[in-house]
Amino acid sequence: MSAVPVLETRGLGRRFGGLQAVSDVSFSVPQGQVLGVIGPNGAGKSTFINLVSGHIKPTEGRVLIDGKDLTGARAWVIAQAGVARTFQIVKPFRGMSVRENVAVGILYGSNGTNVMSKALRAADEVLEEVGLAGLGDRPPGELSVADARRLEFAKALALRPRLLLLDEVMAGLRHTEIEPSLELIRTLKARGITIIVVEHVMKAILAVSDQVLVLHQGKVLTSGDPREVLSDPRVIEAYLGHRYVKRREGDS
Amino acid sequence: MPTRTQVPQKGVTSTVRRDQARRLRPWALGLVALLAALGLQGQLYSGQERTVATIFMFVALAEAWNLIGGFAGYASFGQVVFFGVGGYFTAVAMSHWHFSFWVSLLLSGVIAALFATLIGIPLLRLKGHYFAIATLGVAEGMREVVTNMTDLTGGGAGITVPTVGNNATTAYLGNDGFYLLFLGLAALSVLIAGLVARNKFGYALRAINQDEDAAAALGINTTRTKVLAFALSGFITGLVGASYAFQQVTIFPERLFDVDITVLMIIMVVIGGSGTVLGPLLGAVALQFLSEFLRQNFTNLHTFILGAIIIVAVILLPQGAVNYVREARRTKEYSLLANVRKYRL
Repeated sequence: MSAVPVLETRGLGRRFGGLQAVSDVSFSVPQGQVLGVIGPNGAGKSTFINLVSGHIKPTEGRVLIDGKDLTGARAWVIAQAGVARTFQIVKPFRGMSVRENVAVGILYGSNGTNVMSKALRAADEVLEEVGLAGLGDRPPGELSVADARRLEFAKALALRPRLLLLDEVMAGLRHTEIEPSLELIRTLKARGITIIVVEHVMKAILAVSDQVLVLHQGKVLTSGDPREVLSDPRVIEAYLGHRYVKRREGDS
Repeated sequence: MPTRTQVPQKGVTSTVRRDQARRLRPWALGLVALLAALGLQGQLYSGQERTVATIFMFVALAEAWNLIGGFAGYASFGQVVFFGVGGYFTAVAMSHWHFSFWVSLLLSGVIAALFATLIGIPLLRLKGHYFAIATLGVAEGMREVVTNMTDLTGGGAGITVPTVGNNATTAYLGNDGFYLLFLGLAALSVLIAGLVARNKFGYALRAINQDEDAAAALGINTTRTKVLAFALSGFITGLVGASYAFQQVTIFPERLFDVDITVLMIIMVVIGGSGTVLGPLLGAVALQFLSEFLRQNFTNLHTFILGAIIIVAVILLPQGAVNYVREARRTKEYSLLANVRKYRL
């Protein structure tokens, strides 16, 4: 595979008025890797995803996808370039069936089709992949929390992406419901899809990530091997506060 | 929340055949309705023929509004501007430039579509109430522009399309001709809505209606899609306006840019079921028929009764008749009270 990283950001930043939500994020994700992005609430994780997907335009820095500068490109341009995403707050299209929700992504994806019947058939395959087989005719409003998150996942997969941005697809799921999602991420990775996982569930991040990036107050705190990063005192401090770290040092 | 039940898989071929039948049924029904409307013509007195032609006109207008207001969810409160632009273009082209009606008609549609594109590019960035107010402003403003272009439009005194003598470019169509013309426009609008609803474009519009960020995340060029829907809606409305101008012979800005026409389109779509093909059709027929019936039988009270009926319909069926029937058939919950509760904010 090519040496050009699927995603590279250079000094990426976004200011909202007086608030610097993300600043100076520079790193790259090689093809086929899973990058976990963690950080406490308000660290800028979702803003970071929005900057890459084009839903928010950066005020500083650049976004390169497959080596191509797509800084400030519209969200649909980035989607057609092979970048799919999920939303932290699920956004199903009500008034369409679950199958039709997924079919929309197939119709408009980078190698999309114009034939509705073909798209609906392909949608069924994607639904099966994420574990929603048999629920295609339902309206999305009738899905459980876990299934609604799977639908979000399925819509992103419908684009047949090269880069997949998962914004808390496991939030609010029970432990037994998390395992299938992790399994799906591993399957997609094996298929060569590059994945960025934003997640609060540490166990999930550890289980699938090749690299971890820690955001804190909009900046990169550290990055690298998942286990090393998670035992880094600075990371623990960012999550649990200064005093917790001191007390722990005192214990040992 | 209903529990998940596994639906038994049916035979693939029978499912395909049933799907095909289900897909062809609306087209067959449409054809039957068209033939019935043609057959009906011979049975009507000239007054009734005019009334039914007006029903057809509103079917086309409601279907056109539904493209942008129903499918895309952008409630245009200035839709009458395309009606007025189309009507005035035809009147001016026929009386000043001696164009035939048929050429004027087509150009009116094209110009209304171009106008929709022009105002759609900035205005479709606005959402909800802001879009509604902005479009309303455009329509009100355009009426003033047309009123003040006295040389071309005759201003408040109106403009008359030459229908008799040497200046007449196209002979007046008469009741029979306008019946067929408006029937044709109604059929065209339903056909367009039917095609839109079933293809890629319609799905993109519905996705935009629900969530534009999510639509863009799936690769939909949201701006282009919305502007295209607005232009298509403007095109049909312009055609209808042009036909109306010819039918009326003399037209005035107050009538051609009357906000009541927009309001009627919206009510018809909302009562019938917005975002559906059948809804605007049924809404236009029902409301226009009812209005005419009440006018003839309760001359003094007819607007009051009509208003009361609209209020009751909107309270009981906020999602519109067609959407109510679809949901009720799916969930087997036919109670209107349950429906009111479901949609109560």
